[in-house]
Amino acid sequence: MSKAKSADKSAMIQASLKKRYAKERRFQWYGRLAVLTGFVFLFILIVDIVSKGTPAFTQQFIKVSVHLDRDTLDLPENPSREQLFNANYYGAIRASLRDMFPDVTSRRDKGQLYRLLSVGAEYDLRDKLIEHPQWLGETRDIWLRAHSESGSYLKGQVDTNLPESDRRVKDLQIGWLDELRAEGRTENRFNTALFTNGDSREPEMAGIKVALYGSFLTLLVTFFIAFPIGVCSAVYLEEFAPRNRITDLIEININNLAAVPSIVFGLLGLAVFINFFGLPRSAPLVGGIVLSLMTLPTIIITSRAAIQAVSPSIREAALGVGASKLQTVFHHVLPVAMPGILTGSIIGMAQALGETAPLLMIGMVAFIMDAPGGITDPATVLPVQIYLWADSPERGFTEKTSAAIMVLMAFLILMNALAVYLRRRFEIK
Amino acid sequence: MQASESTGIEPSAEGSSQSESEAADTAGGTETIADARPSVDIADQASISGTETIGAPFVDNPKMSARNVNVFYGDKHAIMDVSLDVGRNEVIAMIGPSGCGKSTFLRTLNRMNDIIQTCQVRGTFELDGEDIYGAGQDTVLLRARVGMVFQKPNPFPKSIYENVAYGPRIHGLAHSKAEMDEIVEDSLRRASLFDEVKDQLDMPGTGLSGGQQQRLCIARAIAVSPEVILMDEPCSALDPIATARIEELIDELKENYTIAIVTHSMQQAARVSQRTAYFHLGKLIEVGATKDVFTMPKHELTENYITGRFG
Repeated sequence: MSKAKSADKSAMIQASLKKRYAKERRFQWYGRLAVLTGFVFLFILIVDIVSKGTPAFTQQFIKVSVHLDRDTLDLPENPSREQLFNANYYGAIRASLRDMFPDVTSRRDKGQLYRLLSVGAEYDLRDKLIEHPQWLGETRDIWLRAHSESGSYLKGQVDTNLPESDRRVKDLQIGWLDELRAEGRTENRFNTALFTNGDSREPEMAGIKVALYGSFLTLLVTFFIAFPIGVCSAVYLEEFAPRNRITDLIEININNLAAVPSIVFGLLGLAVFINFFGLPRSAPLVGGIVLSLMTLPTIIITSRAAIQAVSPSIREAALGVGASKLQTVFHHVLPVAMPGILTGSIIGMAQALGETAPLLMIGMVAFIMDAPGGITDPATVLPVQIYLWADSPERGFTEKTSAAIMVLMAFLILMNALAVYLRRRFEIK
Repeated sequence: MQASESTGIEPSAEGSSQSESEAADTAGGTETIADARPSVDIADQASISGTETIGAPFVDNPKMSARNVNVFYGDKHAIMDVSLDVGRNEVIAMIGPSGCGKSTFLRTLNRMNDIIQTCQVRGTFELDGEDIYGAGQDTVLLRARVGMVFQKPNPFPKSIYENVAYGPRIHGLAHSKAEMDEIVEDSLRRASLFDEVKDQLDMPGTGLSGGQQQRLCIARAIAVSPEVILMDEPCSALDPIATARIEELIDELKENYTIAIVTHSMQQAARVSQRTAYFHLGKLIEVGATKDVFTMPKHELTENYITGRFG
């Protein structure tokens, strides 16, 4: 009888097995689908940004035969460095362009001709001449920066099928550019200006140097404020503070603070640090302080979790040989918790790196051309620079925006790589 | 020597012969519990436990003495009015069923319970006549004098050398590298671990086997030259071979140190200790020479425990 019963039971289980396994397989497929969806979105995002941003890393140059005669440049016999610096390069370039295309006569056409080259071309020429003053009086072929629109045509981004009125690059200019290209007078080079220039009104002159410096300085300030304060708070709360009403209240508030919208911290920064303490506006110092306020809860929470995860047996071992509480924490608990603390801190820093809203409130949204020399100089940061460029209508800025996003992401990947490296380094086997 | 004394005790044989007659009264006549050895419910026996400790809890010129000890975990009264002496250069074993307070009592002896916030300790404790809970008594100094070895081997996640050198270093016991090397070597030798690890002192201590780790922990404890070593079930996580080595070691160590050991294994208590204290539900029931406690226990509870009647 019991045999029959057990056979019965087996049959029942057998019947339900199929259903159970089907359920499991279904769930696995849901999971795969979810992961795949995530990847597809990420892939689209990256392809979009990279395809838009890559052209910004190159810059078109046009070889112009420039007459470096004294009269046009408005220079005396033996010009001093200062005179060279202030010479009329603009005029020289115009004159040379006119000589290259002698059949351009009307005012309007001349204006279009001059717009082939960037406003920055005269600075290129100036730097060349200061470097080689012996060229004065000669006619030389010099590579000069192309205007962002002509560059855009040369990079093949302009649809010539559009009616002329809908294009920024006009038919005349297209003709000249094709001619120049046929003569081998155009070249696509790596765009160093992207990394050596500050912001500019001209897309071909604009760079992310100020934003990179600003981001770096801001994060430096954030790290040096948030990391020590965060770790100290976490250690104190976890190891020393008594468990009572007050510490409970503090804990709840730290958790709440982590959920406060970041722009609120920006308002706080504006009201307290700038208006009350009179710290400089737009400076990485204030930005760093504001972002460290924002990062602190993250660092405290993750550090506390990391400290909590340290096995109590290690604490007992240290106390057992007569280590004081402080020695126990610093010699044994913190080294074991360090990988977790660092991971948490770098996640917090990565958040800070991508933050825009609070920095808008404290004026880090300014148009700044010169790189900050210190933490009190005006600066902007990468996400704010992206925001500013994304707002500009020129085609040149669209690609600049994507390029800046690429740089920001590279910065982030670098930070994460650092986190992984540090974790490996500190991990105790 | 120690091992031979233990041969007189064979609780399993005695226990099974008596069990038949007692099965009827304890199990209430039900047929399902017809096992060889009926267990006695500990909670039922709470009423029998005496308030007075039977035997000889006190010795002349004790190394450590504890009087009228009461320990509370929050509302829970974990140890009730226990008084016990630990004699010089003796090994005292504390035995008893789980949750009887023996580990808690051990931890009061070097104030390890201080780190548990809800734990309150009352009573008088003396180490060589000095009040160890007195005002001005430092726990750091106390723990340097009364070392501890824990249930689970817990070496620091550092090198073997660092594990042993840590205590002497924080207390400033070594004045030079050579002196420290000597302390480390000496401690490892005394823990009979040196020959096994002398070529890998830079390797992490956590990479050793369980038994080696526990000996490393003993080496770490003796590196600061304590006067008393407390051992909280030091062999519970070890296999019989490793256990035998630790027991040998305890036997050697008692020449120089006073040792208090908590153990679940009665055979171990019988093998290594000179005196045995039996704890039951927070009370100290019986204390006496190990031989006496195991061969002729005076209290009913002690007898029930050592004959294996508690489940």
